[in-house]
Amino acid sequence: MASALRSAILRHIRVPATQVVSANGSRLTAVRLMSSHDDHITKDEVINRVLDVVKCFPKVDPSKVTPEVHFEKDLGLDSLDTVEIVMALEEEFKLEIPDKEAVRIESCEQAIEYVYNHPMSS
Amino acid sequence: MSGITSASFLARRAAQRERVRILYRRALRDTLNWAVHRHLFYPDADALRERFEANRKVEDIETIDRLIADGEASYNKWRHPDPYIVPWAPGGSKFNRNPVPPEGIEIVYDYGKEEAELV
Repeated sequence: MASALRSAILRHIRVPATQVVSANGSRLTAVRLMSSHDDHITKDEVINRVLDVVKCFPKVDPSKVTPEVHFEKDLGLDSLDTVEIVMALEEEFKLEIPDKEAVRIESCEQAIEYVYNHPMSS
Repeated sequence: MSGITSASFLARRAAQRERVRILYRRALRDTLNWAVHRHLFYPDADALRERFEANRKVEDIETIDRLIADGEASYNKWRHPDPYIVPWAPGGSKFNRNPVPPEGIEIVYDYGKEEAELV
């Protein structure tokens, strides 16, 4: 009943999709919810936000950033830059990553995997 | 013999590398704790990075050990007494605020009003 009503309403209502333009020009399709009661973030959102953080890092060339990129091998960063990026990611997703695990995050792929699998990332 | 020494040398270098990264991470976090505003944090973070960069070219393994020990002592001396902790993390403001009740525990919502229903 409720689902039938819902689909009937949804068929008649058109809400314009809002597009958010982030600081460096890439487009995010979803509006970010600030409530703590929303569902876990999706993989796409994790990827977008991780890439945004990495692209905003001053020593990084934004055109080189892809989801598989390795911080030291591909982007030419050193280990301390990697530490800074991981800290920026922690702030972005409101996480607290233990030191031993944070040291092991060395590429975008690992960062996305870690953030996506973390239950408290938001 | 030289193979063993070089392997142990490399292992020691890797351990030092990890120690430096953890030290930098903690120190950077602490810098953010000490900074009242974010615009005050950036120059402090740059200064911290300068202190690490100054010893980037050191090759002697004993010197590196001593430098790391000095750095850790300095970090421990200036550690923030009340650091920021993410709310859900241990020590955070929301840690264990509403824990899930243990198995087999039932919440009685009409506690004290059971009699009233019988009447």
